[in-house]
Amino acid sequence: MTSNHSILFEQDEPSSEQKDLVEISKKVCVEEINAILKEKKHQIATALKVCAHCTLCADSCFLYRSKEKVAEHMPSHKFITSIGVIYKKKGKVTMEELYEMRETLWKRCVLCTRCSCPLGINIPELLAIGRRILRSQGVYHSYSEN
Amino acid sequence: MIKIKEKTFNEIVDSIEGFKNILVLGCGGCASVCLGGGQKEVERLCVNLNIFFKSELSSRVAKGYTVERQCNITFIEETRSFIKDFDAVLSMACGAGAQYMAEIYPATPIFPAVNTIAIGIDREVGVYEEKCRACGDCVVGFTGGVCPVTRCAKGLFNGPCGGTNKGNCEISSNIPCAWVDIYNRLKSQDRLDNILKIRPVMEWQNQTQRTVIQNR
Repeated sequence: MTSNHSILFEQDEPSSEQKDLVEISKKVCVEEINAILKEKKHQIATALKVCAHCTLCADSCFLYRSKEKVAEHMPSHKFITSIGVIYKKKGKVTMEELYEMRETLWKRCVLCTRCSCPLGINIPELLAIGRRILRSQGVYHSYSEN
Repeated sequence: MIKIKEKTFNEIVDSIEGFKNILVLGCGGCASVCLGGGQKEVERLCVNLNIFFKSELSSRVAKGYTVERQCNITFIEETRSFIKDFDAVLSMACGAGAQYMAEIYPATPIFPAVNTIAIGIDREVGVYEEKCRACGDCVVGFTGGVCPVTRCAKGLFNGPCGGTNKGNCEISSNIPCAWVDIYNRLKSQDRLDNILKIRPVMEWQNQTQRTVIQNR
């Protein structure tokens, strides 16, 4: 089992910006990421290959519909720019990139699992793999910092 | 969303007595949003448990992992490869999540590390207030948006009762009477005729397990 947990937060917590700077300076454990990528290789590779960029998944996302239909909220865009990037870079991503992906994977998606692809891509599963990889590096959304 | 609260450390420790390898399993859904059972809370509980185990010179170990949702098989599946490495699981999800884990892994003892408190709203970060008891027969349309099942100590559908006391409930002067609030709300909306209608008593549908099948 690869724990998806990092180091315990200190009692006297710094501000979220300070914390992010400290976190960004940490190194990414590529081996941990690759262990997850290896496990989910077929799902990710097939999805990236099959996605026809048809944008038909867009209207199934309530966030996309309510956020003026900007591309960043399109389900396909979310998985391509997160797990897709991690996969193509073979896990060799920087902590800064993971923090950017955190915005996509948490703030632009609530994992309601309602998005649907006409070609059968399981988009929620891909986004969940993305979150799993980020969690393995200690990167996740903290609801106490809203 | 569903609101949870962590059990006392002593209760958690008592529940897992006799089990060596413990998996503390967090939930990235509601439990995480209400700061009760997300990755951060799992990390904290793991550290506290391991300190406790060491203080007892025990070889017991607690490890943490967080799935996105314990109420959805898609997200539970990722634990299948390592669940057998643990003697017991401490679930930090709501009661639904813990029960679903127990259903998926019937051979593994699952213990709740949290109490499921309410369906509620966020007053501010970390401050939550119960608003709904999921009775299955919503009446807030007739009560000015105030739930008598949740707010009234007697859960009355027709009120107020004789115990209302200057705007407060008879059980405590610190608890506002739900039916006074309902009256004031309806009055402000010029809908007082609603309060005069006798509403039939609740058919408590929670006597049997409910299943929802939505039309799509």
